[in-house]
Amino acid sequence: MTDPAFLVVAAVTIIGAIMAIEARDLVYGAAALGISFLGIAGLFILLDATYVAAFQISVYIGAVVVLILFTVMLVGPAKGEAPMEHKRASLFAAVLVSMFLGIGGSLASANAFPGVEVCGSGCDLQILSQTLLNNYGTQLELLSFVLVAAVIGALTLAKTEKA
Amino acid sequence: MVDLPPDPIQMTIAMITSPLFLKVAIFPGLTSIGIIAAILTWLDRKITARVQLRIGPQYVSPFGGILQSFADLIKLAFKELIIPEKADRFFFILAPVFGLVLGAGLIALIPFSPETLISNVEVGLPVFLAFVTLSPTLVLLAGWSANSKYPFIGGLRSLFQQTGYEIPLWLSSIGVVMLAGSFNLTKIVQAQSTGWFILPQLLGAIIFLVTSVAEQERIPFDLPEAEPEIIMGWQAEYPGFLFLAAQGAGFVKLYAFSALFATIYLGGYLGPGPQFLGLFWSLFKTTIMIVLVILLRGAFGRVRLDQLLKYGWTLLLGLAIINIAITYFLIEGFPAI
Repeated sequence: MTDPAFLVVAAVTIIGAIMAIEARDLVYGAAALGISFLGIAGLFILLDATYVAAFQISVYIGAVVVLILFTVMLVGPAKGEAPMEHKRASLFAAVLVSMFLGIGGSLASANAFPGVEVCGSGCDLQILSQTLLNNYGTQLELLSFVLVAAVIGALTLAKTEKA
Repeated sequence: MVDLPPDPIQMTIAMITSPLFLKVAIFPGLTSIGIIAAILTWLDRKITARVQLRIGPQYVSPFGGILQSFADLIKLAFKELIIPEKADRFFFILAPVFGLVLGAGLIALIPFSPETLISNVEVGLPVFLAFVTLSPTLVLLAGWSANSKYPFIGGLRSLFQQTGYEIPLWLSSIGVVMLAGSFNLTKIVQAQSTGWFILPQLLGAIIFLVTSVAEQERIPFDLPEAEPEIIMGWQAEYPGFLFLAAQGAGFVKLYAFSALFATIYLGGYLGPGPQFLGLFWSLFKTTIMIVLVILLRGAFGRVRLDQLLKYGWTLLLGLAIINIAITYFLIEGFPAI
């Protein structure tokens, strides 16, 4: 029996993601992306990882979605104007995304991180910090590029829509 | 024998008399938040007026016009909702309402006493700050959706302001977490039984206070709703009830941030006397912080956006990092020179 809370949160995540791609208005798309990220934060909470959920909200909604909204509003197309289709670019993006998903998936598989204990509700802050900084320092630094990626992505999105 | 379904009336009674429901519905939950936000509106006007040698609200009750804000609340709630023709109705309505809900949700994380706590989240402090990061997004959406000049400028200002204060706000609270060894707000309060964190964390507390005032969009950091420049900024187009929600969210956040400051720096519910006085102490400290923040409004002028960004990224960020270094040495001992 699947947890009904999981079904609801997963549905919110997937519907939000689909709306983010399919929305005609870029502002609605960005807001739907935010809802999808909220769903992912909910998944983290269901996995008893509230700490990760808090940072998921603050980084991905508080920074990434805001950056996208900001760029779209400043340099994007006017409200109601439909974005142009980019068949080749979307194919390229799909290949790129699936490559990253593959790499991320293989990294996130059970074999990739041996000896990791789930940091649940009774987790010790010191052990968590030591694990993060000693064992996964490089990955942590790499993840911090996510904001740079968001800035570049938002600018590209707004630019190509205009052309 | 077939089990009879439980009596719906008894179930309802059992539900509304359960402690959690009472906490969510009455104190520290919804009812008290509404009343406190209304009283804070009055307090804000009265204190600002007294600082400026005016009288402030006076007529709407024998007690210094304390019912003035309730009268305004009723007036605003019954006004006609006029939504601008060119506005984006969905976000125009959603943004202030969701902002009010978020502000009220912050209160659920604050331990007013060991028992008076709705949700004891293990990582309460980051969850609180994470909720808070959502509000500039909503302000931007609100400003954009009104499809009007001043609201949009206000929304953009809110966003610029966030980039200035957000990082110092998070970094300044790290000192507390280092001293307490936990993100849990109840554990942070208990860790202060040997001494309030305001003493070892004086620098961090000042940065936290400054950045949290910036987050609440209060003078001297009320750029997104600067009345003389951009006529209430992102709230300019809001009618009746939605204006009430937008304004109310600001006062609920004032309450929540003051309560958080009292919790992480001033020992929360700790204080002299028997344990049942804990609720009194936490509310007393919260009130002191609220009055202090309101007094700032009477004492300072508004900063410019470039000043806020400059000092946020240089002075406040630098001091926050210095504060973390000081806290490290406080824990590990100062190196012998």
